Amino acid sequence: MLQIDPQDKTHLIDSLFRTGPRFWVAALALAAIVGWGAAMYARQMLLGLAVTGMNRPNYWGIYIVNFIFLIGVSMAGTVITAALYLTGVNWRRPIARIAEATTVFGLMIAGLQVIVDMGRPERMLSMFIYGRAQSPLLWDVASLTLYLLTSSFALYISLMPDLGILRDNLPEAAPRWRRLLYTVLALGWRGNREQWRRLERVIRVVSILIIPIGVSLHTVTSWILSTTLQPGWHSTILGPYFVVGAIFSGIALLFILVTIVRQVSSVKFYIEPRHYRNLGWLFITMSIIWFYFTYTEHLTMIAGQDTVEFPLLASKLWGQDAPSFWGMVLLMALAAYLLISPLLLPVRWERALFFRPRFALATAASAGLALVMAYAPQTQAVVAGPGLPDLPAALRVTAIALLLAAAISILAWLRRHVVGGAVIASVAVVVGMWLERWNIIIPTVTHPRLIAWAAYTPTLTEWSLTAASAALFGLMLLVFFKLFPAVSLWEVAEGRVIDAAQAAIEIPLPPESGQPKWQRRGIRKRLA
Amino acid sequence: MNFPLDNPIYRFLYWFVNTPGVGGAGVLLLVAACLGSFAAALRWIARGAQADEPASYAYPTSALHDHQ
Repeated sequence: MLQIDPQDKTHLIDSLFRTGPRFWVAALALAAIVGWGAAMYARQMLLGLAVTGMNRPNYWGIYIVNFIFLIGVSMAGTVITAALYLTGVNWRRPIARIAEATTVFGLMIAGLQVIVDMGRPERMLSMFIYGRAQSPLLWDVASLTLYLLTSSFALYISLMPDLGILRDNLPEAAPRWRRLLYTVLALGWRGNREQWRRLERVIRVVSILIIPIGVSLHTVTSWILSTTLQPGWHSTILGPYFVVGAIFSGIALLFILVTIVRQVSSVKFYIEPRHYRNLGWLFITMSIIWFYFTYTEHLTMIAGQDTVEFPLLASKLWGQDAPSFWGMVLLMALAAYLLISPLLLPVRWERALFFRPRFALATAASAGLALVMAYAPQTQAVVAGPGLPDLPAALRVTAIALLLAAAISILAWLRRHVVGGAVIASVAVVVGMWLERWNIIIPTVTHPRLIAWAAYTPTLTEWSLTAASAALFGLMLLVFFKLFPAVSLWEVAEGRVIDAAQAAIEIPLPPESGQPKWQRRGIRKRLA
Repeated sequence: MNFPLDNPIYRFLYWFVNTPGVGGAGVLLLVAACLGSFAAALRWIARGAQADEPASYAYPTSALHDHQ
């Protein structure tokens, strides 16, 4: 029988068998949204794709936007945990299971988007019957399938020791079907020396393989677009741009899901602010790279002044696609501000009145009031004269100044509340990255090279199926984490031992150099 | 004239890339190979339990692998 820490048993095993009303409310709410989506899909199947906003020339719409977004958020989970595993990063342990599950379920929902997008889904089989090796669509099917299978396998093998532990440490009141489930899935796991050796070798090989497979999936998805001659797509940067965006949005979703799991279950003890802080460094790096790539992608369009590409850029900058483009930029800038700015605030300033959250709230509320007053009809009626300033303009300037002050004064709160700051930034990134996928797909399909331009607005059917997809993703995670621990039992136990061993090591201080101050500044003593 | 399709290698590549169904069959083969190797790996791990070692551990450490 495999022995585990009693604390782990209470927090991670016993909690799986306590089902409160919150679980049922969440499950029913999500199931109701999925049911609504299924009804709308049945309607779409009966009436055809005419119930969507897709038409000539925009044959792709929100479903393909969702597909690319979900492929992106899925890529990050397993790839990041594999990279952290290979480099021996100890803090990855409590978040690894959530990241791996996000990848597997995200990929399943991504695949579903393609089926939903097809008017005749049974023709998916034609991809295999008539598929030619030259088709980027087929490459994507191959990459997606390979990544889904490898990620599922990675999730399962990391779960195997936990299944053995669960089988041996079930509470007395555990139902028989769950005992049977863990016994069957554990595949006779015993945890002897040889079995651990074999498991760790397989995990290492899979971790090495999964990184190139993950990168290939997202670059191949970008090739579906970039191997065409459509404006905005025919670019070599699209592959790496997709990968960067994928890791960026994947970390954001991971932050959100980790926080939800942390709040609703008893894993708070395992997932600490230091995990957010450490992953936050990677998040900041990806944010900077994403901004750079976005700039590069648009720079080539501006510099080229191509007669086909430039109208697309104009549509994004000041045309019909401007709201989604500038919305994306604003959200990403907000996320970057929330992540980077608190780190720049000097510690001694934190106690100042200006940096109290109440001051920030009061300033933001005053800014809101100033904006309401600026657009009120009574203010608009005031005519500017020689003695009178332009009141609405003055109020708008005041509102902007107050908003800036609120943004600065919230920095101390953000630094103290690492989790809260990371989650707000993550929500901004997830929405911003969905808009980014929209900005890649929709402006191009509505501005094709040869035929007349069009506009695209998603219908209720499309929004319903998008909401249902998100709900199905949530429901899958909810059920999965009801059956299996959200935090890997064996990995945290191993990490705890390693942490304790490392803490026991006394590292001596380096020898003092005794260098004088003037010498430290690079001033050399003039030799006589 | 030196036409590329006179070369059997190019002829094979042309056939491979352009024939309907070959790509689909390639994907199915890839999936089968992937599933086969995962099943073999699982079987190998599961069979590790049959080794003649009485002790079992809930988690590994480097000491378990003789500091390797």
